Amino acid sequence: MADKILKKEDLAKLIASVTGKGGRFVAPTTAARQIVFKKVSKAEEIAPDYILARNSFKEFLFPQTEVIAEFTVCKDTVDMRGVEVEAPETVVFGARPCEAASLAGMRALFTWDFVDEFFTKRDDNTVVITVGCTKGDEACFCTSVNLSPESTEGADVYMRETEDGGYAVQALTDKGKKFVAAHAAVFSEGSAKARALFMPEKVPGVDLKKISERLKDKSHYDNPVWKKLAMKCIGCGACTFVCPTCRCFDITDEGTAFEGERRKNWDSCQYDSFTLHASGHNPREHQPQRWRNRFMCKFNFYPEKFNSKGCVGCGRCIRVCPVRLDITDVMQEFSK
Amino acid sequence: MENTLRQKAKDLLASGEVKVVIGWGWNRTKTRTTPVFITDPAEVDQLVWNPLCVNNLSVYLTRKFKDIQALGKPAIVAKGCDIKNIVVLITEAQLKREDVHIIGVACEGVVYKQELWQGQLKPEIMPTKCHNCDVRNPHVADFVVGGKSTFTPPDEPAGMVFSKIKELDSKSSSERWAFWINEFSRCIKCYACRQVCSLCYCERCITEKNMPQWIETSAHPRGNLSWNLIRAMHLVGRCTFCGECERACPVNIPLNLVNQKMIMVVKDSFDFKSGYDEKVHPPMIVFSPDDKESFIK
Repeated sequence: MADKILKKEDLAKLIASVTGKGGRFVAPTTAARQIVFKKVSKAEEIAPDYILARNSFKEFLFPQTEVIAEFTVCKDTVDMRGVEVEAPETVVFGARPCEAASLAGMRALFTWDFVDEFFTKRDDNTVVITVGCTKGDEACFCTSVNLSPESTEGADVYMRETEDGGYAVQALTDKGKKFVAAHAAVFSEGSAKARALFMPEKVPGVDLKKISERLKDKSHYDNPVWKKLAMKCIGCGACTFVCPTCRCFDITDEGTAFEGERRKNWDSCQYDSFTLHASGHNPREHQPQRWRNRFMCKFNFYPEKFNSKGCVGCGRCIRVCPVRLDITDVMQEFSK
Repeated sequence: MENTLRQKAKDLLASGEVKVVIGWGWNRTKTRTTPVFITDPAEVDQLVWNPLCVNNLSVYLTRKFKDIQALGKPAIVAKGCDIKNIVVLITEAQLKREDVHIIGVACEGVVYKQELWQGQLKPEIMPTKCHNCDVRNPHVADFVVGGKSTFTPPDEPAGMVFSKIKELDSKSSSERWAFWINEFSRCIKCYACRQVCSLCYCERCITEKNMPQWIETSAHPRGNLSWNLIRAMHLVGRCTFCGECERACPVNIPLNLVNQKMIMVVKDSFDFKSGYDEKVHPPMIVFSPDDKESFIK
């Protein structure tokens, strides 16, 4: 049930209200001939019509590269200094229900055996506003992973586009309710007819239970099916970088021999150096093994370890793959 | 054409002349093509040929793909532009000519990106390379599928890439710098450009050499610039303008501009174009006593 209405013309006021208080407003924009989440200052910058952004909004919680410490090498010691986490008040507007569902897994990972404040502080200061999808494409498969354009997992505020170009607003979490209250002047009372949602067709034959069972039995590790499915994988990291649930990172030092900074950078399990040991041994030497890991991570590790979704069915990996390696083909194969 | 292609693939596999045919096939929903590796003569019907066959499959002939090499001698289905890369691989001793069976396909152009396809190949959805193609009839092949193309490329190269290069060339160096810094700022260091490139066959890329770390792996302006510049420099005199890197780039960096500009510089300086003759070595790896540069003498 919608609580409030955000009129079309009031979206600009909402942005002004958020940025006026020093916050950043992130929304899908058109940049370099595609839809990308970016910080915006005007309503006109927001893409009027989109399926979903090429990048996921994870980069506003977990940036692709960030400094986590600075160091100076002195005569007998190393002076290591922490840095303040930059965590501005952030509103992510226009995320899709699928990608918001990735937050549970992100939170589980970044608070698992160590609380990663670089993530948690940003997460605490971020309000996620999802908008139910009124269009989609053939790469969308949220309905095959138990989600839909109506799902509200991970969203603080859920909106539906209305026939008159505005939004029907539903505040879900405390954070979401506080947000709507804080910008109360922008929202209106009333109701409006919501536009019809786009429901992606289910991938034929996919059975998540069956996938989970089959993956638990590790005998599939050496199954030639991995080679058959993933031999074409060229080992780029495009799928993992656009994926809203992939969150692996690498720690690297940059600077001169005497001073510099320690950075946390996105990494990808699809790279051959990802699991390369100092000894020279590589437990995942072949690309199909790396692809197996990606699939295992999404449909076994995350569900088993954190009871959360590893794959939200947004289809980004399918869209960006230069060789059209389709994760739903693998889901089908493991549903047999 | 597809029947001829499939029959040839079947004959090659059945006779044992090759162990695998690398070609294009449909995805599950038959909306996009995807690379396929046929090892069983009974499966040749998977092979397709149409304007959606954009991938340059020659990448699968490189040593990056040990699993494919392990299958045995390959046959590869290749457009003229893809064959250029095979020629470079042979020139650079990555492959012996007799170790690959090239099934060339006569081509009337492909789409720039598969998602542009709406059932018909129109000039506006074709990449610049197709508008200027001089290898629509495969120039090096063991077998050619399809009738002869009568297309002749224009005398003056035309298309988006060339007009954009002209536009950039007319700008000041600081404007060009600003243009490229802005383009590279989107780089996410996924290395799809490198992975999809058949001429980026190093088993250990310089960006992975971390003792010391020559190229910063961070996707900040410095790291992005150094990565994109180093890759460009490593392709000078080698790149054939197949366009795979730009197609694969998830953030739409116009890499075709960089690569075509380098091709033009090499052509002007050394009168060399890569990918045509495997016996001619690229200028960057040969020493010639009559080189016009004098610094080395």
